[in-house]
Amino acid sequence: MATFHLQIVTPDGQIFDGQAESVTVPTIDGAVTILARHIDYLSALGMGEAKIERDGQMRRGACIGGMVSVTQGEVKVVATTFEWAEEIDQERAERALAKAKEALTHRDTMTEQELILAEAKLKRALVRTSIAKLR
Amino acid sequence: MAGVSMKDIKIRIRSMESTKQITKAMEMVATSQLRHAQEKVTRSRPYFETLYETVTEIAATNKGYSSEYFTQRQVKQVCYVVIAGDRGLAGGYNHNILKLVAQELAGKQAQVLPIGKKALEYCHQHDIPIVTDAYAQAADVSVGDCFTMAKDLAKAFRQGTFDEVYVGYTNFASILVQTPCTMKLLPLAQSLKAKSSSGQGLRLYEPGVETVLQAIIPEYLGGLIYGALCESVASELGARRTAMDAATKNAEEMIADLNLKYNRARQGAITQEITEIVAGAEE
Repeated sequence: MATFHLQIVTPDGQIFDGQAESVTVPTIDGAVTILARHIDYLSALGMGEAKIERDGQMRRGACIGGMVSVTQGEVKVVATTFEWAEEIDQERAERALAKAKEALTHRDTMTEQELILAEAKLKRALVRTSIAKLR
Repeated sequence: MAGVSMKDIKIRIRSMESTKQITKAMEMVATSQLRHAQEKVTRSRPYFETLYETVTEIAATNKGYSSEYFTQRQVKQVCYVVIAGDRGLAGGYNHNILKLVAQELAGKQAQVLPIGKKALEYCHQHDIPIVTDAYAQAADVSVGDCFTMAKDLAKAFRQGTFDEVYVGYTNFASILVQTPCTMKLLPLAQSLKAKSSSGQGLRLYEPGVETVLQAIIPEYLGGLIYGALCESVASELGARRTAMDAATKNAEEMIADLNLKYNRARQGAITQEITEIVAGAEE
């Protein structure tokens, strides 16, 4: 299958830089799979699972926020956070999930800002735990 | 005994030595922290470069659509995000960035969003209106904080509270060279790289240009602010290391000088004593 150059970068460093056959990312409009020779494209990323395929092998990761762009065949995933499934510390993720759920039980005493933050935390924790389970 | 007494010199030497110890320790702390900060800068650079390139290219190629983020408005109120240090003793680091910002602020209706205690203090001293003082500790500002800040700034820009948004930070060129600079965040410069390679701007935006930009711009701002913060933190440590290194060297020089004086005074005292003894024996 035809490959294309894929780059995944986050503020914590470059996660991936190389050839790929397909990449699936969670955009704000749903999951999108990009293959080689895609038209110039731009979308913002939501939260969810990202998949990269190469030589019949698939790597999964938890991808949160940012954007994906295709410019003349070059694909760039600029994510706020990106973690490979095998690198997610499942126990820690579970703990974070429990903590986020716990925090949301006091929702009537929270300010709007706090609620937004807590919900975002819960969403992130859910994404990470669900992907950690998949591997 | 000539001039200062031996005891006085001894006291001064001792005080110089303890100063030297402090500056030496600070230098060593800065050096070890600098290594981490430098790693962080190099690790995160690809992210900002990609982010910056992508967004400027969108701004350059996208001619058919005009978002409020691209529109140049008449400038009434500007906002400066100013990143300085929490502590002094870092050579000219704080002074340089604050001086540059002060120059740019002159004659403008501006508000400042200070990051770092020194930036906040500066605003208080000069009666510059501040947006928020929530980020007074530069060391405690996380990626999340940068994104929250960016969201608020983007919102304020859309609502017309600010017509331009800048960030003032210190660029970490190398361990020895740090240059203060400012960068325009909003509105996005549309003319930049106007003759981009692809040119036609045939780009598919999903689900739509407006939605995509709405989601991306705060990300972009947050990313750039975080990048500027990383650079500034590394610069501060670099500047502190250099300053403390110089201070240690100066202390060493002064100690050597004082030692010489001390020995001379001692010699003088001995000579005088001998002279007295000899004079006594001759009588």
